[in-house]
Amino acid sequence: MTHPRDELTALLDGALAPGREEELRRHLTACAECRAEEARLRGALALLAALPPAPEPSPFFAARLEARLAARRERGLASWARLLAGRWRLAVPATALAAAALLSAVVVRHDRARERAVAEHLDLLLDYEAVASVDLVESPEDAQVVAHLGELEGRP
Amino acid sequence: MAPDPDAALMLAFQRGDEASFRTLYERNARAMVAFCHHLVRDAARAEELAQDVFVKLHAARDRYQPTARFKTFLYRIASNHCLNELRRGEYAARARLAGEEPAEPDALASGAATPEEAARGAALERAVAGLLARLPEKQRAALVLCRFEGLSYEEIAAVLDTTVSAVKSLVHRATVAAADALRAFAPGSAEEVLP
Repeated sequence: MTHPRDELTALLDGALAPGREEELRRHLTACAECRAEEARLRGALALLAALPPAPEPSPFFAARLEARLAARRERGLASWARLLAGRWRLAVPATALAAAALLSAVVVRHDRARERAVAEHLDLLLDYEAVASVDLVESPEDAQVVAHLGELEGRP
Repeated sequence: MAPDPDAALMLAFQRGDEASFRTLYERNARAMVAFCHHLVRDAARAEELAQDVFVKLHAARDRYQPTARFKTFLYRIASNHCLNELRRGEYAARARLAGEEPAEPDALASGAATPEEAARGAALERAVAGLLARLPEKQRAALVLCRFEGLSYEEIAAVLDTTVSAVKSLVHRATVAAADALRAFAPGSAEEVLP
């Protein structure tokens, strides 16, 4: 005979499916051992139910809870204020850094554009007049020098 | 599912109605203090823990889904918080002594007709406190939710985030442990504690 002891508490709690409950009840009528165990568990449940009731919340429960929630809200506001203040403190150096980065990017971009133009016209660099005619030489003095490089080198 | 007035209050609180939160804790403070007391067996600590539970509930406002019954949601917060507290070394050390400490006379005298009955009640309380301190935490939570809070196995499974068959086993093992721990109080026991 299999003794369904593990299910005796569920039987006492009315937590078994109706068919299973019926089977257990039939088993209990035939098994003195399981009946004794069921009675022992039933007695324990009666003792637990006889314990004095738990204490009530104190009269200050609501006031203390409200105070804790208010303190929490204030801490939350203070954190936001600190965060915003921190952002303002960071804003000035961050703006300066961003401006410097932007300037560098413009200069680098400009230099890169010049380098690309020189690379694209490398063949023309042998023709100083052509070089002087394109917009790669910025000052008029430089343009004069480039225009007369052939003469300076003794080329015809 | 029957209408859940606490769920409606929680949803109103989610929409920003702080007065609904106040109604929620007024309706549930007694149950939470009792639940925490059943778990920690210490009135002052239970009140403190119940307060923590409502502070956590306030902070968890956006996490509440109306698909879950409010009671399950609240007991889940409370169980997790109390079990975390019980795991803490300081509390665990106090709990080990619980079975040896005399209980508070005022609390024990309530409902007792005679000093003998009060003494028996005190002894029973100590025995239950000792039992709870010894039980593994999941069994302790399942026993308290089932025996003192009246939750169904399905509700306990939702609170403890486990299956109904696991709850059946937890509650049964805890009840067997209770029968062993309280055998001296059973009528007809050779070691019966008489009033």
